[in-house]
Amino acid sequence: MENEIFTVSAINAHINKMLKRDPNLKNIRIKGEISNYRNYPSGHSYFTLKDEKSQIPAVFFKFNKQRFLEFEPENGMKVIVKGKIEVYETDGKYQLYVTKIEKDGIGDLFARFEQLKKDLDKEGLFEETHKKEIPKYPKRIGVVTAKTGAAIRDIITTIKRRYPISEILIFSTLVQGNQAAPQIVRQIRHAQEFDIDTLIVGRGGGSIEDLWPFNEEIVAREIYACEIPIISAVGHEIDFTIADLVADKRAATPTAAAELAVPNIREVKNNIGQLSNRINKSIENKIVENRTRLSHISQKNVLKNPESIYEIKGMQLDNLINKLDYSSKTIISQNRNKLFRIENSIVLKKPEEIIKAKKDRYMKNFNKLEILNPLLTLKRGYAMAKSGDKVISSAKDVEVGDEIDIEFDDGTVNTKVI
Amino acid sequence: MENLSFEESIEKLEEIVNRLENGDVPLDDAIDEFKKAMDLVKICNDKLNDAEESIAKIVENNGELIDFNPE
Repeated sequence: MENEIFTVSAINAHINKMLKRDPNLKNIRIKGEISNYRNYPSGHSYFTLKDEKSQIPAVFFKFNKQRFLEFEPENGMKVIVKGKIEVYETDGKYQLYVTKIEKDGIGDLFARFEQLKKDLDKEGLFEETHKKEIPKYPKRIGVVTAKTGAAIRDIITTIKRRYPISEILIFSTLVQGNQAAPQIVRQIRHAQEFDIDTLIVGRGGGSIEDLWPFNEEIVAREIYACEIPIISAVGHEIDFTIADLVADKRAATPTAAAELAVPNIREVKNNIGQLSNRINKSIENKIVENRTRLSHISQKNVLKNPESIYEIKGMQLDNLINKLDYSSKTIISQNRNKLFRIENSIVLKKPEEIIKAKKDRYMKNFNKLEILNPLLTLKRGYAMAKSGDKVISSAKDVEVGDEIDIEFDDGTVNTKVI
Repeated sequence: MENLSFEESIEKLEEIVNRLENGDVPLDDAIDEFKKAMDLVKICNDKLNDAEESIAKIVENNGELIDFNPE
Protein backbone atom coordinates (compact mmCIF):
# COMPACT_ATOMS: atom_id res chain seq x y z
CA MET A 1 0.00 0.00 0.00
CA GLU A 2 2.98 2.19 0.53
CA ASN A 3 3.47 3.20 -3.10
CA GLU A 4 -0.17 3.22 -4.05
CA ILE A 5 -1.69 6.50 -5.21
CA PHE A 6 -5.30 7.13 -4.13
CA THR A 7 -7.89 9.27 -5.71
CA VAL A 8 -9.74 11.64 -3.33
CA SER A 9 -12.91 9.62 -3.70
CA ALA A 10 -11.07 6.40 -2.98
CA ILE A 11 -9.47 7.71 0.19
CA ASN A 12 -12.75 9.11 1.51
CA ALA A 13 -14.42 5.78 0.73
CA HIS A 14 -11.61 3.99 2.51
CA ILE A 15 -11.89 6.12 5.64
CA ASN A 16 -15.62 5.65 5.65
CA LYS A 17 -15.21 1.92 5.46
CA MET A 18 -12.87 2.03 8.44
CA LEU A 19 -15.30 4.05 10.52
CA LYS A 20 -18.17 1.77 9.66
CA ARG A 21 -16.14 -1.17 10.89
CA ASP A 22 -16.11 0.26 14.41
CA PRO A 23 -19.20 -1.08 16.21
CA ASN A 24 -18.97 1.70 18.81
CA LEU A 25 -19.72 4.29 16.17
CA LYS A 26 -22.69 2.40 14.74
CA ASN A 27 -24.98 3.05 17.59
CA ILE A 28 -23.83 5.70 19.99
CA ARG A 29 -25.31 8.35 22.26
CA ILE A 30 -23.70 11.79 22.45
CA LYS A 31 -24.48 14.56 24.89
CA GLY A 32 -24.20 18.18 23.78
CA GLU A 33 -25.91 21.42 22.88
CA ILE A 34 -27.80 22.06 19.66
CA SER A 35 -26.52 24.94 17.62
CA ASN A 36 -27.25 26.39 14.20
CA TYR A 37 -30.31 24.18 13.72
CA ARG A 38 -31.76 24.49 10.20
CA ASN A 39 -34.76 22.88 8.54
CA TYR A 40 -34.41 22.40 4.80
CA PRO A 41 -37.20 22.18 2.24
CA SER A 42 -36.23 18.58 1.64
CA GLY A 43 -37.47 17.83 5.14
CA HIS A 44 -34.00 17.04 6.44
CA SER A 45 -32.52 19.06 9.29
CA TYR A 46 -28.92 20.00 9.92
CA PHE A 47 -27.30 21.22 13.09
CA THR A 48 -24.12 21.28 15.08
CA LEU A 49 -23.81 19.38 18.32
CA LYS A 50 -21.30 20.99 20.63
CA ASP A 51 -19.82 21.38 24.05
CA GLU A 52 -17.38 24.02 25.38
CA LYS A 53 -14.41 22.70 23.42
CA SER A 54 -15.59 20.90 20.37
CA GLN A 55 -18.33 20.38 17.87
CA ILE A 56 -19.61 17.84 15.38
CA PRO A 57 -21.93 18.38 12.40
CA ALA A 58 -25.14 16.42 12.50
CA VAL A 59 -27.84 15.55 10.02
CA PHE A 60 -31.34 14.45 10.92
CA PHE A 61 -33.08 12.84 7.95
CA LYS A 62 -36.75 13.33 7.30
CA PHE A 63 -37.41 9.61 7.61
CA ASN A 64 -35.97 9.44 11.14
CA LYS A 65 -37.52 12.75 12.19
CA GLN A 66 -40.96 11.50 11.29
CA ARG A 67 -40.48 8.35 13.30
CA PHE A 68 -38.60 9.53 16.36
CA LEU A 69 -38.87 13.26 16.82
CA GLU A 70 -40.91 14.18 19.88
CA PHE A 71 -40.26 17.94 19.97
CA GLU A 72 -38.98 20.74 17.77
CA PRO A 73 -35.26 21.11 18.49
CA GLU A 74 -34.07 24.64 19.26
CA ASN A 75 -30.69 26.24 19.36
CA GLY A 76 -29.09 26.13 22.77
CA MET A 77 -30.99 23.02 23.86
CA LYS A 78 -29.01 20.49 25.76
CA VAL A 79 -29.74 17.11 24.24
CA ILE A 80 -28.68 13.52 24.02
CA VAL A 81 -28.44 12.43 20.41
CA LYS A 82 -28.59 8.84 19.28
CA GLY A 83 -27.14 7.79 15.94
CA LYS A 84 -24.11 6.65 13.97
CA ILE A 85 -20.99 8.33 12.71
CA GLU A 86 -19.96 8.06 9.10
CA VAL A 87 -18.08 10.04 6.49
CA TYR A 88 -19.98 12.26 4.07
CA GLU A 89 -17.71 11.40 1.20
CA THR A 90 -18.63 14.30 -1.07
CA ASP A 91 -17.28 16.84 1.42
CA GLY A 92 -14.74 14.61 3.07
CA LYS A 93 -16.13 15.21 6.50
CA TYR A 94 -17.46 12.88 9.12
CA GLN A 95 -20.78 13.60 10.66
CA LEU A 96 -23.39 12.34 13.03
CA TYR A 97 -26.40 10.67 11.40
CA VAL A 98 -29.13 11.20 13.96
CA THR A 99 -31.84 8.69 14.64
CA LYS A 100 -33.21 10.17 17.83
CA ILE A 101 -32.92 13.29 19.97
CA GLU A 102 -33.74 13.45 23.66
CA LYS A 103 -33.86 16.55 25.84
CA ASP A 104 -31.16 16.97 28.43
CA GLY A 105 -32.39 20.10 30.19
CA ILE A 106 -32.41 23.53 28.57
CA GLY A 107 -29.04 24.84 27.49
CA ASP A 108 -27.29 27.34 29.73
CA LEU A 109 -26.83 29.94 27.00
CA PHE A 110 -30.42 29.73 26.03
CA ALA A 111 -31.58 30.14 29.62
CA ARG A 112 -29.30 33.14 30.08
CA PHE A 113 -30.63 34.71 26.90
CA GLU A 114 -34.24 34.27 28.02
CA GLN A 115 -33.53 35.72 31.44
CA LEU A 116 -31.70 38.79 30.08
CA LYS A 117 -34.40 39.37 27.50
CA LYS A 118 -37.06 39.30 30.21
CA ASP A 119 -35.11 41.65 32.49
CA LEU A 120 -34.31 44.23 29.82
CA ASP A 121 -37.85 44.12 28.50
CA LYS A 122 -39.16 44.85 31.99
CA GLU A 123 -36.71 47.71 32.29
CA GLY A 124 -38.08 49.21 29.07
CA LEU A 125 -35.04 48.85 26.79
CA PHE A 126 -37.16 47.50 23.95
CA GLU A 127 -39.82 50.24 24.12
CA GLU A 128 -41.05 51.44 20.73
CA THR A 129 -41.26 54.98 22.07
CA HIS A 130 -37.53 55.06 22.72
CA LYS A 131 -36.67 54.10 19.17
CA LYS A 132 -35.20 56.86 17.06
CA GLU A 133 -36.13 57.49 13.47
CA ILE A 134 -33.57 56.51 10.85
CA PRO A 135 -32.62 59.59 8.78
CA LYS A 136 -33.90 59.36 5.23
CA TYR A 137 -30.94 60.95 3.49
CA PRO A 138 -27.82 60.28 5.55
CA LYS A 139 -24.58 62.03 4.67
CA ARG A 140 -22.46 59.72 6.75
CA ILE A 141 -23.01 56.10 7.76
CA GLY A 142 -21.02 54.49 10.55
CA VAL A 143 -20.49 50.73 10.63
CA VAL A 144 -19.43 48.82 13.72
CA THR A 145 -18.33 45.37 12.54
CA ALA A 146 -15.27 43.36 11.63
CA LYS A 147 -13.16 44.98 8.91
CA THR A 148 -12.61 41.55 7.40
CA GLY A 149 -15.40 39.36 6.20
CA ALA A 150 -18.50 39.48 4.09
CA ALA A 151 -20.55 41.79 6.29
CA ILE A 152 -18.54 44.98 5.72
CA ARG A 153 -18.11 44.16 2.02
CA ASP A 154 -21.85 43.70 1.59
CA ILE A 155 -22.60 46.94 3.39
CA ILE A 156 -20.13 49.01 1.37
CA THR A 157 -21.24 47.48 -1.93
CA THR A 158 -24.89 48.10 -1.16
CA ILE A 159 -24.40 51.70 -0.07
CA LYS A 160 -22.22 52.52 -3.09
CA ARG A 161 -24.78 51.02 -5.40
CA ARG A 162 -27.83 52.68 -3.87
CA TYR A 163 -26.65 55.99 -2.55
CA PRO A 164 -23.11 56.79 -3.62
CA ILE A 165 -23.23 60.29 -2.17
CA SER A 166 -22.91 59.15 1.41
CA GLU A 167 -19.69 58.52 3.23
CA ILE A 168 -18.93 55.35 5.20
CA LEU A 169 -16.89 55.25 8.40
CA ILE A 170 -15.86 51.82 9.64
CA PHE A 171 -15.28 51.13 13.33
CA SER A 172 -13.67 47.75 13.29
CA THR A 173 -14.27 45.27 16.08
CA LEU A 174 -14.14 41.61 16.86
CA VAL A 175 -17.61 40.15 16.44
CA GLN A 176 -17.24 36.80 18.20
CA GLY A 177 -15.46 35.45 21.23
CA ASN A 178 -15.00 36.85 24.69
CA GLN A 179 -13.33 40.07 23.60
CA ALA A 180 -16.05 41.01 21.15
CA ALA A 181 -18.69 42.57 23.44
CA PRO A 182 -16.39 45.13 25.17
CA GLN A 183 -14.91 46.08 21.78
CA ILE A 184 -18.34 46.57 20.23
CA VAL A 185 -19.27 48.79 23.17
CA ARG A 186 -16.08 50.85 22.79
CA GLN A 187 -16.62 51.33 19.06
CA ILE A 188 -20.27 52.39 19.42
CA ARG A 189 -19.03 54.99 21.88
CA HIS A 190 -16.21 56.03 19.55
CA ALA A 191 -18.63 56.48 16.65
CA GLN A 192 -20.51 59.14 18.59
CA GLU A 193 -17.47 61.42 18.41
CA PHE A 194 -18.03 61.69 14.67
CA ASP A 195 -20.80 63.46 12.85
CA ILE A 196 -22.64 60.30 11.87
CA ASP A 197 -26.29 60.11 10.78
CA THR A 198 -26.91 56.38 11.10
CA LEU A 199 -24.91 53.60 12.70
CA ILE A 200 -25.03 49.98 11.55
CA VAL A 201 -23.93 47.48 14.19
CA GLY A 202 -23.63 43.83 13.27
CA ARG A 203 -21.99 40.86 11.67
CA GLY A 204 -22.73 38.11 9.18
CA GLY A 205 -24.59 34.93 10.05
CA GLY A 206 -23.38 32.33 12.47
CA SER A 207 -24.33 29.98 15.23
CA ILE A 208 -25.93 31.19 18.44
CA GLU A 209 -22.49 31.06 20.08
CA ASP A 210 -20.99 33.14 17.30
CA LEU A 211 -23.72 35.74 17.68
CA TRP A 212 -23.46 35.72 21.46
CA PRO A 213 -21.67 39.08 21.86
CA PHE A 214 -24.84 40.64 20.46
CA ASN A 215 -26.76 39.07 23.30
CA GLU A 216 -24.53 40.58 25.97
CA GLU A 217 -26.03 43.06 28.38
CA ILE A 218 -23.25 45.65 27.98
CA VAL A 219 -23.86 45.75 24.21
CA ALA A 220 -27.60 46.10 24.72
CA ARG A 221 -27.13 48.99 27.15
CA GLU A 222 -24.66 50.76 24.87
CA ILE A 223 -27.05 50.52 21.93
CA TYR A 224 -29.83 51.87 24.12
CA ALA A 225 -27.70 54.80 25.28
CA CYS A 226 -26.29 55.66 21.85
CA GLU A 227 -27.46 59.01 20.49
CA ILE A 228 -27.07 58.00 16.86
CA PRO A 229 -29.93 55.92 15.42
CA ILE A 230 -28.75 52.31 15.21
CA ILE A 231 -29.68 49.60 12.73
CA SER A 232 -28.75 46.15 14.00
CA ALA A 233 -27.56 43.67 11.40
CA VAL A 234 -26.88 40.36 13.00
CA GLY A 235 -27.10 37.86 10.19
CA HIS A 236 -29.55 35.45 11.58
CA GLU A 237 -32.93 35.35 10.02
CA ILE A 238 -34.75 33.12 12.44
CA ASP A 239 -33.96 34.36 15.92
CA PHE A 240 -33.63 37.84 17.32
CA THR A 241 -30.59 38.77 19.31
CA ILE A 242 -30.92 41.15 22.24
CA ALA A 243 -29.13 43.77 20.12
CA ASP A 244 -31.90 43.44 17.52
CA LEU A 245 -34.52 44.11 20.16
CA VAL A 246 -32.80 47.22 21.53
CA ALA A 247 -31.74 48.72 18.20
CA ASP A 248 -33.85 51.45 16.61
CA LYS A 249 -34.30 49.20 13.60
CA ARG A 250 -33.48 45.58 12.90
CA ALA A 251 -32.21 44.11 9.65
CA ALA A 252 -31.84 40.39 9.04
CA THR A 253 -28.55 40.73 7.16
CA PRO A 254 -25.82 43.36 6.66
CA THR A 255 -27.07 43.95 3.12
CA ALA A 256 -30.60 44.54 4.40
CA ALA A 257 -29.20 46.95 6.98
CA ALA A 258 -27.47 48.98 4.27
CA GLU A 259 -30.71 49.06 2.30
CA LEU A 260 -32.53 50.41 5.34
CA ALA A 261 -29.81 52.96 5.99
CA VAL A 262 -29.79 54.68 2.60
CA PRO A 263 -32.43 55.42 -0.05
CA ASN A 264 -32.00 54.48 -3.66
CA ILE A 265 -30.59 57.54 -5.38
CA ARG A 266 -32.57 56.83 -8.53
CA GLU A 267 -35.81 56.92 -6.56
CA VAL A 268 -34.72 60.11 -4.86
CA LYS A 269 -34.05 61.72 -8.24
CA ASN A 270 -37.40 60.51 -9.54
CA ASN A 271 -39.07 61.89 -6.48
CA ILE A 272 -37.48 65.30 -7.01
CA GLY A 273 -38.53 65.16 -10.66
CA GLN A 274 -42.07 64.43 -9.60
CA LEU A 275 -42.06 67.21 -7.04
CA SER A 276 -40.80 69.56 -9.70
CA ASN A 277 -43.57 68.46 -12.07
CA ARG A 278 -46.19 68.88 -9.40
CA ILE A 279 -45.00 72.36 -8.59
CA ASN A 280 -45.03 73.35 -12.27
CA LYS A 281 -48.50 71.92 -12.67
CA SER A 282 -49.87 73.67 -9.64
CA ILE A 283 -48.44 77.05 -10.59
CA GLU A 284 -49.79 76.54 -14.10
CA ASN A 285 -53.21 75.74 -12.66
CA LYS A 286 -52.98 78.78 -10.47
CA ILE A 287 -52.24 81.03 -13.43
CA VAL A 288 -54.96 79.50 -15.61
CA GLU A 289 -57.41 79.82 -12.76
CA ASN A 290 -56.56 83.47 -12.23
CA ARG A 291 -56.67 84.20 -15.96
CA THR A 292 -60.12 82.65 -16.21
CA ARG A 293 -61.24 84.70 -13.29
CA LEU A 294 -59.86 87.84 -14.87
CA SER A 295 -61.50 87.24 -18.22
CA HIS A 296 -64.73 86.36 -16.49
CA ILE A 297 -64.65 89.67 -14.66
CA SER A 298 -63.72 91.67 -17.74
CA GLN A 299 -66.66 90.15 -19.58
CA LYS A 300 -69.03 91.88 -17.22
CA ASN A 301 -71.04 94.67 -18.92
CA VAL A 302 -69.98 97.30 -16.45
CA LEU A 303 -66.38 96.95 -17.50
CA LYS A 304 -67.15 96.51 -21.16
CA ASN A 305 -69.44 99.62 -21.31
CA PRO A 306 -68.57 101.82 -18.39
CA GLU A 307 -71.08 104.42 -19.67
CA SER A 308 -73.82 101.92 -18.88
CA ILE A 309 -73.34 102.84 -15.25
CA TYR A 310 -74.35 106.43 -16.13
CA GLU A 311 -77.17 105.26 -18.35
CA ILE A 312 -78.74 103.33 -15.58
CA LYS A 313 -78.19 106.07 -13.07
CA GLY A 314 -79.52 108.61 -15.56
CA MET A 315 -82.63 106.57 -16.02
CA GLN A 316 -83.11 106.29 -12.33
CA LEU A 317 -82.69 110.04 -12.00
CA ASP A 318 -85.23 110.72 -14.75
CA ASN A 319 -87.62 108.44 -13.06
CA LEU A 320 -87.22 110.23 -9.77
CA ILE A 321 -87.67 113.63 -11.40
CA ASN A 322 -90.84 112.40 -13.08
CA LYS A 323 -92.21 111.20 -9.84
CA LEU A 324 -91.34 114.41 -8.07
CA ASP A 325 -92.84 116.49 -10.85
CA TYR A 326 -96.01 114.46 -10.92
CA SER A 327 -96.62 114.53 -7.23
CA SER A 328 -95.97 118.25 -6.89
CA LYS A 329 -98.35 118.92 -9.75
CA THR A 330 -100.95 116.69 -8.17
CA ILE A 331 -100.67 118.44 -4.85
CA ILE A 332 -100.98 121.86 -6.50
CA SER A 333 -104.01 120.95 -8.58
CA GLN A 334 -105.71 119.24 -5.67
CA ASN A 335 -105.29 122.33 -3.58
CA ARG A 336 -106.35 124.56 -6.41
CA ASN A 337 -109.59 122.58 -6.79
CA LYS A 338 -110.26 122.83 -3.11
CA LEU A 339 -109.68 126.56 -3.19
CA PHE A 340 -111.90 126.93 -6.22
CA ARG A 341 -114.67 125.07 -4.48
CA ILE A 342 -114.36 127.20 -1.40
CA GLU A 343 -114.28 130.42 -3.43
CA ASN A 344 -117.37 129.36 -5.31
CA SER A 345 -119.36 128.34 -2.28
CA ILE A 346 -122.63 130.29 -1.76
CA VAL A 347 -121.66 131.28 1.71
CA LEU A 348 -118.94 133.40 0.34
CA LYS A 349 -120.70 134.49 -2.82
CA LYS A 350 -124.20 135.53 -1.48
CA PRO A 351 -124.40 135.39 2.32
CA GLU A 352 -127.79 137.37 2.36
CA GLU A 353 -129.48 134.58 0.44
CA ILE A 354 -128.54 132.05 3.12
CA ILE A 355 -129.88 134.36 5.84
CA LYS A 356 -133.13 134.85 3.94
CA ALA A 357 -133.54 131.13 3.34
CA LYS A 358 -132.97 130.43 7.04
CA LYS A 359 -135.50 133.18 8.00
CA ASP A 360 -138.17 131.84 5.61
CA ARG A 361 -137.77 128.39 7.05
CA TYR A 362 -138.11 129.74 10.51
CA MET A 363 -141.30 131.67 9.74
CA LYS A 364 -142.83 128.67 8.09
CA ASN A 365 -142.22 126.51 11.13
CA PHE A 366 -143.44 129.26 13.41
CA ASN A 367 -146.79 129.54 11.59
CA LYS A 368 -147.26 125.81 11.75
CA LEU A 369 -146.81 125.91 15.50
CA GLU A 370 -149.27 128.84 15.75
CA ILE A 371 -152.04 126.85 14.08
CA LEU A 372 -151.58 123.92 16.40
CA ASN A 373 -151.65 125.98 19.62
CA PRO A 374 -155.01 125.07 21.44
CA LEU A 375 -154.94 128.27 23.49
CA LEU A 376 -155.49 130.27 20.36
CA THR A 377 -158.69 128.27 19.74
CA LEU A 378 -159.96 129.18 23.19
CA LYS A 379 -159.39 132.82 22.33
CA ARG A 380 -161.82 132.48 19.56
CA GLY A 381 -164.59 131.52 22.06
CA TYR A 382 -164.21 127.81 22.33
CA ALA A 383 -163.99 126.09 25.77
CA MET A 384 -162.35 122.84 26.80
CA ALA A 385 -164.01 120.35 29.18
CA LYS A 386 -161.55 118.57 31.42
CA SER A 387 -161.79 115.99 34.14
CA GLY A 388 -158.72 116.69 36.22
CA ASP A 389 -155.96 117.03 33.75
CA LYS A 390 -157.72 114.93 31.14
CA VAL A 391 -159.50 116.60 28.21
CA ILE A 392 -163.04 115.24 27.76
CA SER A 393 -163.49 114.76 24.06
CA SER A 394 -166.76 112.70 24.09
CA ALA A 395 -170.17 113.14 25.83
CA LYS A 396 -170.00 109.49 26.70
CA ASP A 397 -167.05 110.09 28.89
CA VAL A 398 -169.16 111.83 31.56
CA GLU A 399 -171.94 110.75 33.80
CA VAL A 400 -174.58 112.80 35.51
CA GLY A 401 -173.26 114.20 38.72
CA ASP A 402 -169.60 114.23 37.56
CA GLU A 403 -167.78 117.34 38.49
CA ILE A 404 -165.86 118.66 35.52
CA ASP A 405 -163.81 121.75 34.75
CA ILE A 406 -164.57 123.99 31.82
CA GLU A 407 -161.54 125.88 30.76
CA PHE A 408 -161.92 129.22 29.01
CA ASP A 409 -159.39 131.54 27.57
CA ASP A 410 -159.35 133.64 30.66
CA GLY A 411 -160.15 131.09 33.39
CA THR A 412 -161.67 127.82 34.57
CA VAL A 413 -165.26 127.12 35.84
CA ASN A 414 -166.02 124.08 38.03
CA THR A 415 -169.46 122.59 37.14
CA LYS A 416 -171.59 119.59 37.81
CA VAL A 417 -173.29 117.53 35.06
CA ILE A 418 -177.11 117.47 35.52
CA MET B 1 -31.09 78.36 1.35
CA GLU B 2 -27.79 76.87 0.08
CA ASN B 3 -26.90 76.07 3.68
CA LEU B 4 -29.77 73.61 4.07
CA SER B 5 -28.91 69.95 4.25
CA PHE B 6 -30.24 67.70 1.52
CA GLU B 7 -32.87 66.33 3.88
CA GLU B 8 -33.99 69.82 4.89
CA SER B 9 -34.09 70.94 1.26
CA ILE B 10 -36.25 68.07 0.08
CA GLU B 11 -38.54 68.38 3.08
CA LYS B 12 -38.97 72.07 2.40
CA LEU B 13 -39.68 71.28 -1.23
CA GLU B 14 -42.36 68.75 -0.29
CA GLU B 15 -43.89 71.27 2.06
CA ILE B 16 -44.14 73.92 -0.67
CA VAL B 17 -45.64 71.44 -3.14
CA ASN B 18 -48.29 70.44 -0.65
CA ARG B 19 -49.07 74.03 0.18
CA LEU B 20 -49.39 75.02 -3.47
CA GLU B 21 -51.52 72.02 -4.30
CA ASN B 22 -53.91 72.91 -1.54
CA GLY B 23 -54.74 75.93 -3.63
CA ASP B 24 -55.51 78.61 -1.08
CA VAL B 25 -52.30 80.51 -1.70
CA PRO B 26 -52.79 83.93 -3.32
CA LEU B 27 -51.19 84.24 -6.75
CA ASP B 28 -48.36 86.58 -5.72
CA ASP B 29 -47.36 84.32 -2.85
CA ALA B 30 -47.71 81.28 -5.09
CA ILE B 31 -45.27 82.76 -7.56
CA ASP B 32 -42.78 83.51 -4.78
CA GLU B 33 -43.16 79.96 -3.49
CA PHE B 34 -42.73 78.62 -6.99
CA LYS B 35 -39.43 80.45 -7.43
CA LYS B 36 -38.25 79.17 -4.06
CA ALA B 37 -39.26 75.62 -5.01
CA MET B 38 -37.39 75.79 -8.30
CA ASP B 39 -34.27 76.91 -6.43
CA LEU B 40 -34.72 73.98 -4.05
CA VAL B 41 -35.08 71.53 -6.94
CA LYS B 42 -31.82 72.82 -8.34
CA ILE B 43 -30.07 72.60 -4.98
CA CYS B 44 -31.27 69.02 -4.44
CA ASN B 45 -30.25 67.92 -7.92
CA ASP B 46 -26.86 69.57 -7.55
CA LYS B 47 -26.32 67.79 -4.29
CA LEU B 48 -27.27 64.45 -5.81
CA ASN B 49 -25.14 64.91 -8.92
CA ASP B 50 -22.09 66.68 -7.63
CA ALA B 51 -21.19 64.27 -4.85
CA GLU B 52 -18.35 61.95 -5.60
CA GLU B 53 -18.43 58.19 -5.35
CA SER B 54 -18.93 57.34 -1.69
CA ILE B 55 -15.74 56.72 0.16
CA ALA B 56 -15.29 54.19 2.92
CA LYS B 57 -12.78 54.95 5.63
CA ILE B 58 -11.59 53.03 8.62
CA VAL B 59 -11.51 54.93 11.87
CA GLU B 60 -8.42 54.04 13.89
CA ASN B 61 -8.49 54.03 17.66
CA ASN B 62 -6.69 57.36 17.70
CA GLY B 63 -9.42 58.82 15.48
CA GLU B 64 -7.32 58.82 12.33
CA LEU B 65 -9.22 58.08 9.08
CA ILE B 66 -7.64 55.71 6.59
CA ASP B 67 -9.06 54.82 3.18
CA PHE B 68 -10.60 51.40 3.24
CA ASN B 69 -10.49 48.90 0.42
CA PRO B 70 -12.20 45.62 1.17
CA GLU B 71 -10.00 42.80 -0.05
